[in-house]
Amino acid sequence: MTIEAINEQLLRAIGVGVALLDRETLRFGFRNDTFEDWFNTETQSSHLQQLFPDLEIETVRKSLFESGRYTSEISFKKKRRTLVIALDFTVAHDDVLVLVCQNITRIKELESMIDSYSMMVERNTRELKREKEQVEKLLLNLMPRSVYEEYKTFGVVTPQLYDPVSVLMLDFVGFTEMVASQDPSVTVTELNDIYSAFDRIGEQFGCERIKTIGDAYITVAGLPDPTPDHAKAIANTAIRFVRYLTRRNLSHPHQWRCRIGLASGSVVGSVVGIQKYVYDIFGPAVNLASRLQEFSEPMQITVQDEVAEVLKDQFDIESVGLKSVRGFEQQEIWRLTDRD
Amino acid sequence: MVERTLYEKYGGFSKISKIVISFYDTLLDNDEVGPFFDHVDMTKMVDHQTKFVASLLGGPASYTDKQLRQLHSHLEITNAHFDELETVLQGALQKHNVAQDDIAVVLAEFGKRRPLIVR
Repeated sequence: MTIEAINEQLLRAIGVGVALLDRETLRFGFRNDTFEDWFNTETQSSHLQQLFPDLEIETVRKSLFESGRYTSEISFKKKRRTLVIALDFTVAHDDVLVLVCQNITRIKELESMIDSYSMMVERNTRELKREKEQVEKLLLNLMPRSVYEEYKTFGVVTPQLYDPVSVLMLDFVGFTEMVASQDPSVTVTELNDIYSAFDRIGEQFGCERIKTIGDAYITVAGLPDPTPDHAKAIANTAIRFVRYLTRRNLSHPHQWRCRIGLASGSVVGSVVGIQKYVYDIFGPAVNLASRLQEFSEPMQITVQDEVAEVLKDQFDIESVGLKSVRGFEQQEIWRLTDRD
Repeated sequence: MVERTLYEKYGGFSKISKIVISFYDTLLDNDEVGPFFDHVDMTKMVDHQTKFVASLLGGPASYTDKQLRQLHSHLEITNAHFDELETVLQGALQKHNVAQDDIAVVLAEFGKRRPLIVR
């Protein structure tokens, strides 16, 4: 076999479509087997435009004139598969044009698959992000943001001493009876409304709600960021809690009446528990606020001596006298009333 | 720990993509079920097959029953067609050395959708 014969065999059998065209007329001369297989041309001397009607012949000619090359892609159905073929025209001689065709179907299919896959992944990523945000929101309800950040970064929360802070303890009068006598779900819905309102009021004065236990509501000023005005902040909050309930009672059949106790001091804040963790605070100020609350008549606010000292100038406050407080020394306690 | 899906077990997208391509190739050449795709655009077809295989293996795609029913409602798919597709799917999984037990799991998942697809 001569070299020429081998070359021709090779050219015919190669997996790339090869055709030679007359540069002037753009009519096909030679076409190899692969080319015939893809485009199964019947008439031997057909024109380029006949075979590829979508090709803009003028653009082809212009590009060939300027750079000696022209590339394009065509796609068509063979049986039910879409074939995508890349066309590459090169001027070989003055009068001969070489057309090389590569089958890029698989590349296109893989591109589509990657598109499809990345869209699925992106959608999932968005969903995960949304879920993460929900978890974060939930955790932020359980603990102050700075504590949450610490928990997120280190996986643990170091108990921290906050000194001084002011604690507000609120308890509803006759809640147990109310739950027993009314529809419990109505009571709980109302409680939820009230607590939500308390949260908003507390927020205005920089208070951090620590927890609610049934009908007891505990909020703190001066935590996690120190606040010099913590006592005034807690007094303002307490007054507005009472004001809110008074106004609410005017238009609601269920009368909600509270007792409030206010105390200052140090507390330790930490996350307690492993599986069911909760952020909580501990310290004498918490216990004292709870005891003082018991001295309040419905809708009254009882205040520790040290807090009263700070509030004297700006708030209406009167002494209740020396009292024995369970677990604490005998001390003077005060009543805070709403000036308005 | 969250249970590992077959999708993860077989190496995620890099391996699954090969299964999808095999599945796609066989499906197009198959004269029983292939005609359903005669007029489907290639991009759509590949997208469809990628999601199909990924969802059966517990990958990042899922269709609700309602969606599946809706998507196939305009097609006259018979039990014979469904069986044929099962064979094609089985072939693609076998070709890529998915364990026999796992193939059974995938085919069972596939089978569950029969009432949604077949008329």
